[in-house]
Amino acid sequence: MVYVMFMFLFGLVLGLAAVASNPSPYFAALGLVAVAGMGCGVLVGHGGSFLSLVLFLIYLGGMLVVFAYSAALAAEPYPEGWGSWPVLGVMVAYLVGVCAAAGLFWGGWYEGAWVSADEFVEFSVFRGDIGGVALMYSAGGGVLVLGAWVLLLTLFVVLELTRGLGRGALRAV
Amino acid sequence: MNPYILAILLFGLGLGTTITFASSHWLLAWMGLEMNTLAIIPLMAQHHHPRAVEATTKYFLTQAAAAATLLFASITNAWLTGQWEIQQITHPLPTTMITLALALKIGLAPLHAWLPEVLQGLDLTTGLILSTWQKLAPFALILQIQPSNSTTLIILGLASTLIGGWGGLNQTQLRKILAYSSIAHLGWMILILQFSPSITLLTLLTYLIMTSSTFLVFKLNKATIINTLATSWAKAPALTALTPLILLSLGGLPPLTGFMPKWLILQELTKQGLAPTATLAALSALLSLYFYLRLSYTMTLTISPNSLLGTTPWRLPSTQLTYPLAISTAMTLCLLPLTPAISALLIP
Repeated sequence: MVYVMFMFLFGLVLGLAAVASNPSPYFAALGLVAVAGMGCGVLVGHGGSFLSLVLFLIYLGGMLVVFAYSAALAAEPYPEGWGSWPVLGVMVAYLVGVCAAAGLFWGGWYEGAWVSADEFVEFSVFRGDIGGVALMYSAGGGVLVLGAWVLLLTLFVVLELTRGLGRGALRAV
Repeated sequence: MNPYILAILLFGLGLGTTITFASSHWLLAWMGLEMNTLAIIPLMAQHHHPRAVEATTKYFLTQAAAAATLLFASITNAWLTGQWEIQQITHPLPTTMITLALALKIGLAPLHAWLPEVLQGLDLTTGLILSTWQKLAPFALILQIQPSNSTTLIILGLASTLIGGWGGLNQTQLRKILAYSSIAHLGWMILILQFSPSITLLTLLTYLIMTSSTFLVFKLNKATIINTLATSWAKAPALTALTPLILLSLGGLPPLTGFMPKWLILQELTKQGLAPTATLAALSALLSLYFYLRLSYTMTLTISPNSLLGTTPWRLPSTQLTYPLAISTAMTLCLLPLTPAISALLIP
């Protein structure tokens, strides 16, 4: 189990380096998929299964899909992945930096748990993350409405900024 | 712009400031600030020309960075002290981060570089909203934090007054002049923050009134450069006669309203034993006064001698609503005798 978690975290950092190494958006989106997937695995290992499921569905299945379609519409004729030297160089530099930081902060390994949400492991019916969703709709109702309003506002803002298609101020070059 | 979209954006602007005013939790305050930033972005880019889009981009990047720093600081405070109350920040690290984040949000030196360029890319109405309304929410937070580092605030304040003065000296574009004027006034507000937040509030409110008058005067004259002001006598002769007084009020001369904050600030600084700081701030006001005088000179002091009735306006009268300008001008010129009443209202 410890080894599985270690592999997940390793994949997470690798995916982060892939995103940060400035490739074309396709490969960056692939890196984001890897990061989110590995992060969900870490969450599941610590007992946050519901949150992991929601993250997979909404983040990967919703937002990332939208981003992938948008990136596909702004297609690059010569996408740059790890095959091209600038991207690979930055990638290697980041990994070296990560290894240096890991060496600096190296401690032991411990089997952790998501204490605040998963305190009573098998003895609980409503765990932290599921109970949190229920609380969000009950006690947190006002802020939930506010969050929904802000998302709607963002939609109008983006639509207004991109008004005019090819004749507007923000357009594909 | 589509009136429904405009209504939604203005509603978002109002709601954002209201949320920040009404919040005691850092997350809610941050939400209000982000909503303000988001709602004003399309208003800034509404004319869709590259200069406006450039200004919008710069504004978005700086405000987003400031809001992210604010969020990071409040999370750090939650980690260190376990609570999210706005008025209970006592640890120096989050306090300093929040001070710097809010300084970037409003445009205090040395975090001021974005303000002249952003204001230059906007039309005068949006610039007015940026200079007045968008300062209210960050100041609501600035007034509530207990500053830990006295030196930081005084350096921010003095640097802003000096940079606001010197930066504005070489400008011919009116919006950049107003940007540097804003930086200088914000410097005065921050200078007195740790000694008397009420005087900061008073300075903010008087600055809002004075700068509204100035923006509206420029808007009525459709002036964006100093040269255009020279023909103001042919468009609105009475306003041409009054505008030097508005500008001198911005410069802080008695017996106009602008003297009120400077007087109270210098008095409080002296009482706190910071006479050299007070002297330096007063001298830096001379720099700003120079470019206010330059504007008055080109606008009014160089017109040919005539009576007000003799200068027949030979432009079509402007269709702009002049009621707000009338109110703000009256307040810009005549509020000094009410200093005791205003102080009693604002100082608890």
